[in-house]
Amino acid sequence: MNILEVKDLRKRFGDNEVLKGIDLSLKKGEVLSIIGSSGGGKTTLLRCLNFLEIANNGEIVVADKTVFSATEGEKPTIAPEAQLSFGLVFQQFNLFPQYSVIENLMLAPKLRAKRMGTGEKIEDIEERAKQLLATVGLTEKANEYPCRLSGGQQQRVAIARALMLSPDILCFDEPTSSLDPELTGEVLRVIRSLKDSERTMIIVTHEMEFARHVSDRVIFISDGVIEEEGTPEELFGNPKSEKLIAFLSAGQE
Amino acid sequence: MEQFINITLDLLVGFGETLKIFLVTLAFSLPLGLIIAFGSMSKFKPLSALTRAFVWVIRGTPLMLQLITVYYGPGLIFGRVLLTSVSAVYITFSINYACYFSEIYRGGIESIAKGQYEAGQVLGMTRRETFFKVVLLQVIKRIIPPMSNEIITLVKDTSLARVVTYYELIYFAQRYIKNAGLLWPLFYTAVYYLVFTALLTFLFGKLEKKLSYFN
Ligand SMILES: Nc1ncnc2c1ncn2[C@@H]1O[C@H](COP(=O)(O)OP(=O)(O)OP(=O)(O)O)[C@@H](O)[C@H]1O
Ligand SMILES: [Mg+2]
Repeated sequence: MNILEVKDLRKRFGDNEVLKGIDLSLKKGEVLSIIGSSGGGKTTLLRCLNFLEIANNGEIVVADKTVFSATEGEKPTIAPEAQLSFGLVFQQFNLFPQYSVIENLMLAPKLRAKRMGTGEKIEDIEERAKQLLATVGLTEKANEYPCRLSGGQQQRVAIARALMLSPDILCFDEPTSSLDPELTGEVLRVIRSLKDSERTMIIVTHEMEFARHVSDRVIFISDGVIEEEGTPEELFGNPKSEKLIAFLSAGQE
Repeated sequence: MEQFINITLDLLVGFGETLKIFLVTLAFSLPLGLIIAFGSMSKFKPLSALTRAFVWVIRGTPLMLQLITVYYGPGLIFGRVLLTSVSAVYITFSINYACYFSEIYRGGIESIAKGQYEAGQVLGMTRRETFFKVVLLQVIKRIIPPMSNEIITLVKDTSLARVVTYYELIYFAQRYIKNAGLLWPLFYTAVYYLVFTALLTFLFGKLEKKLSYFN
C-alpha cells in the first residue's frame, strides 16, 4: 500500500507556473530524495504538501484517504486532519526562541491535547519528548534555549519537534544548507538513523553523496516537472536525460 | 521649612491628578492600540486604509489641538458642553496614545519572521495559538524600547491637560505664582516628573533584562 500519492499537482504564482503537474507515490518507510537546480520548484512542492501553499490543482492521498483535492478554478478541499499527515523541517530551523528545547517539543502536542480534549497527559507528552531528544542525541540540552545551541543542534531539535506529532510523512527542505560544513554530518546522521526506524521521508537536498546513500528513490525536478525518477544507482550511475547529466556534472566541479 | 513641606504635599496631590491621566490613558490605549494595529494590518483594504488614515490624522496633529477640539468642539457645534474636562482628557489621551502604540505594535508584529507562523502551522497549531503562544512574547520583547520611550513621553504630555482646565501638577504649582507670588514651586515640579520617569526607566530596564534570555 502506498502511504502517499500525489496526482497532477500544479501550482502557479500569478502567471508563473512553478509546478506543472507532479505525480509521485511513496511506500511506507520509503525515503525519497528530491534533487534539482535552483528555482525548479522543490521547495514549492514541499510547501504544497504541508499546505503552506495551496496548490491550484491536484490531489494528495495519504494512506488511501484524500486529504487534499483541488481542481483548477475551484475552491480546494482540505481534510481537517490533513496538516498532521505531514511534518516539515525547515532550512532555517524556525525554533521558538522563547522556549527551551523540551518546551519547543511539547508546545504543539500540549496545545493539541487541550484543544481536542484528547485527555493525553502532560507526563506522556514529556516522556515522548525525552525519547525523541535521546534519538537526536540532545538529552543533555533539554533545558537549554535555542540561542545557546549550534546550528546543527538546533536543526536536530527541529527534527525531534516535527516527530512529536508522528507525521505519516516527514519532509526536509535542505536541512543542512544553512549549516557550517562541519555541522552537516551530525544532522545527516540523525536523518539516516530515522530511516532505520522506518520513517517515511521526503528530503530535498543538494548533498548528492547523502542522497545517494540514504534514499530508496530519487527524483530530479527541473522547471516544475519530474524530469527523471529512479533508484539512486539509476539516477546517479546512469542518468538518462540531458538536463540531469548537465546537473550532475555541474555539481562535480 | 513648614511652607516647603506643605507645598510639597500639595504638589503631591497635583501629581496624583497627573498620575490619574497617566494610568487611565495606559489602561485604555494599550489594548485599543492592539485593535487599531490589527485594523491597519487587515487584509480588508477599506478597513486598513481607513485605520491608517485615522492614525495619520491623530499622529499628524498636536495633542493640544485635539484636546481643545474634543473639549470645546461639541460646544461650538451643538451650543452646549457635552464632556467634562476630565472625560475629554481621558478620551483624547487614550485615542492619541492608542494610535502611537498601534504603530509600535504593528512594527513589532511585522518584524517577526514568517517562519515562526509557518512552524506553528506545520505543527498543527491554530493561528490564534501561534499568535498568543509563540509570536506575542517575541513582539513584546522587541517593542519594549520604543514603548518605554512613548510611555515616558506620556508622563510629560499630561501637563497639556491644563489647557482644558484639568487641574494637574503644573496647574497646582502655578497657583502659587498668582496667590502667593512664589515662583519656585513651578520649577520644583520637575523633581516629581524626574523621579517618576526614573522609576519607569528602572522598571522597563528590569523587564528588558527579564526577556534577555532569548533573542
Ligand atoms: N511565494 C512566492 N511568490 C512568487 N513566486 C514564488 C514564490 N515562491 C516561489 N516562487 C517562485 O517559484 C519558483 C520555484 O521556487 P522554489 O523555491 O520552489 O525553487 P527550489 O527548487 O526550491 O529552488 P532552490 O534550490 O533555490 O531552493 C521560483 O521561480 C520562485 O521565484
Ligand atoms: Mg528551495
